[in-house]
Amino acid sequence: MPGFDFSNHNRNVALHAQGVPLPKATSTGTTIVGCIFDGGVVIAADTRATSGPIVADKNCEKLHYIAPQIWCAGAGTAADTEFTTALISSNLELHALSTGRKPRVVTCMTMLKQHLFQYQGHIGAYLVVAGVDPTGVGLFTVHAHGSTDKLPYVTMGSGSLAAMSVFETQWKQKMTREEAVDLTSNAIQAGIFNDLGSGSNVDVCVITSDKTTLMRNHIKPNEREQKQRSYKFARGTTAVLNEKIITKEEISKYVTVHELSSDDDVVVVEKMDIDS
Amino acid sequence: MDTLVAQYSRPAFEEEGYSQEDQHQLAQITPSLSLNFALPPLANPSAFLRATTDDHANPDCPIKLAHGTTTLAFRFQGGIIVATDSRATAGNWIASQTVKKVIEINNCLLGTMAGGAADCQYWLAYLGMQCRLHELRHKRRISVAAASKILSNLVYSYKGMGLSMGTMCAGVTPQEGPALYYIDSDGTRLAGNLFCVGSGQTFAYGVLDAEYHYDLKEDEALELGRRSILAATHRDAYSGGFINLYHVKEDGWVKHGFNDTNPIFWKTKLEKGEFSNVTSSLV
Amino acid sequence: MAASIFSSNPTLASGPNYSFSQAANNAAAGVKEHSFYPYTDNGGSTLGISGSDFAILAGDTRSTSGYNINSRYAPKVFKIGGDDETGEGAHIVLSVVGFAADGQALKERLDTIVKMYKYQHGKNMSVKACAQRLSTILYQKRFFPYYVHAILGGIDDEGKGSLYSYDPVGSYERESCRAGGAAASLIMPFLDNQVKNNNQYIPGSGEGHELVARKAEPLPKEEVVKIVRDAFTSATERHIEVGDGLQMLVATKDGIEEVYFPLKRD
Repeated sequence: MPGFDFSNHNRNVALHAQGVPLPKATSTGTTIVGCIFDGGVVIAADTRATSGPIVADKNCEKLHYIAPQIWCAGAGTAADTEFTTALISSNLELHALSTGRKPRVVTCMTMLKQHLFQYQGHIGAYLVVAGVDPTGVGLFTVHAHGSTDKLPYVTMGSGSLAAMSVFETQWKQKMTREEAVDLTSNAIQAGIFNDLGSGSNVDVCVITSDKTTLMRNHIKPNEREQKQRSYKFARGTTAVLNEKIITKEEISKYVTVHELSSDDDVVVVEKMDIDS
Repeated sequence: MDTLVAQYSRPAFEEEGYSQEDQHQLAQITPSLSLNFALPPLANPSAFLRATTDDHANPDCPIKLAHGTTTLAFRFQGGIIVATDSRATAGNWIASQTVKKVIEINNCLLGTMAGGAADCQYWLAYLGMQCRLHELRHKRRISVAAASKILSNLVYSYKGMGLSMGTMCAGVTPQEGPALYYIDSDGTRLAGNLFCVGSGQTFAYGVLDAEYHYDLKEDEALELGRRSILAATHRDAYSGGFINLYHVKEDGWVKHGFNDTNPIFWKTKLEKGEFSNVTSSLV
Repeated sequence: MAASIFSSNPTLASGPNYSFSQAANNAAAGVKEHSFYPYTDNGGSTLGISGSDFAILAGDTRSTSGYNINSRYAPKVFKIGGDDETGEGAHIVLSVVGFAADGQALKERLDTIVKMYKYQHGKNMSVKACAQRLSTILYQKRFFPYYVHAILGGIDDEGKGSLYSYDPVGSYERESCRAGGAAASLIMPFLDNQVKNNNQYIPGSGEGHELVARKAEPLPKEEVVKIVRDAFTSATERHIEVGDGLQMLVATKDGIEEVYFPLKRD
């Protein structure tokens, strides 16, 4: 059956009525902004994901791909923004294929609002949709309940007020690309520093009629300083009751094992911080 | 009308800063361990208190107080054994693993702590003070019966206000011999040979009832106290930490250590073959 | 009366009603209950570690409410019983975290008491006495608690560093280290491991159950400062209410030294 699976709904309502708390969803208590400029549009986001007061991800991506020239910044429930944009992206691609035209930003926005309205706000996705299509530049906001706005500069998320204060004091008409990137970056930084739900780095995406540029971690104003002490434990510090060694041959019964030599190119997606 | 005018014509700053009573109290040379408690400005203070501090009635309450315990005490031919764990919990958070739940009221009297940590600490300190005053007034040591009654009368006067304590008073006096009383915040006061109190009480009773008899030898009694607490710390998540062991004898109490449960557990398992439900090696 | 139908805010008691769902309701409304809630959580974290001849109390300087920052420099650690408003001459330090207004009131009360003690007895209050007194102050409000987690530090009568930690209604205990506040659950396990050496064993000291646990050794002051800084930079990384600045009060026999380190402000 397509769509959502509601089979646990009644059980969860009953549990909740008995006082069992709902599981905490990772929310992107967020600052996201968008701003049009002469010849294109730029959207930007911070990179903090929170679960209650805890930072769940210090460098997450809140700028989502919809189509090559249409991108979306998401706030609200992380999973909802992720899957809603993926779903619309896929439907928009099919739509583009069947019509044989480039997808339009209004189409994307309409599909999003219809989808979200259908679920009456239960899908907690708050989005900034931006792009360039044959009709020109588009910049919209879509709220979880399905309402939309079309404005030259927009902000959303918990840091929207901080970011909007920057726009309201510094925005002007007919900005250059550089001016727009700086303005949106400053708006995001206002959110990063003044809103507890936003933090870490600034991601920016610039869309013009001929090119889309995603600038991941465009500004990194919150690098962690070197730790004062080393927390390397001597081997044998942890108590071990017993140990059992599983050989490569034994593992090979269940999975395929490839030997990697050191000169092979190992693809590192994102480097992990390791204590020296 | 006059009363209305009077009510509204007081200077606005009159209630600023410390009140007369407060200032008097601050200027006192010795602070009284007083029975003056601040109350919230409400018709029903205890309901407010329950909503803000009782994590059982309201799991999301903002102020979580330290709770959770296993304590036991029993009488036998050689005196009284008093044993406790040392864990304090606030909701699911282990606030401390090193709480001293046996309170030394004087060199012949012991009290145990279960329930609200602050309630027990404060009122047993208050009891210690009253016991000392009794000694000074009457030139002889207070009986365990009288001491326990001071405490039970006290908590009974606060009944319904939200105090939470389950305590035992153990002591030896010439007139009573070894005496053991259980007092709780409901106002219950019982004399008896054997009590376990706290969230882990059932586990402790299980071991204690099985092995207990009055003619236990001293070392057997100490070991039984230790083993009962160990059983409770093993099965009750709200008990753990260290085992605090005391022996109350004719001429006062003797402390028998404050020992980590973990090595005691493994020793008990490996040397005596108990706790066979726990594996010590990987299969 | 007709006017009231169009009024968006007919009476003060029923409050603003601009939406259609709560259109002017002038029918005899039932008794409106306004619940009494005198507490706010101002976030932040504190931490204390005592050593052989010193005690360190530290706290971040951020004050929050909800997702907002009230202040980037609102101290949580205070000198108690000083001779003037700068705290000069004090020998006891107190940290309070939780509801800042209660914390302030508690600090002021204890400060007054310690000063009064000095005037009346002509000597400084010992840390042990001050610790017991703080417990009774907190318990005085057993039925209307101070919404705070307090930690008290200083040098005891033997010249050793001493540290006492409290629950909101005054149960207290002398400890070697303690974290309080929003990030307590992040910092405390780190302290248990690095200060008390919990869950650390001496490599090669035995097989299986014979393995010997590492004992806690008193750490020098410089190392403790490093541990405190790492605890706070780490808590800042993972807790949104911790950040802006780290304030430390180091109590030694020579008095109280104040140290400040900036923390991340995001």
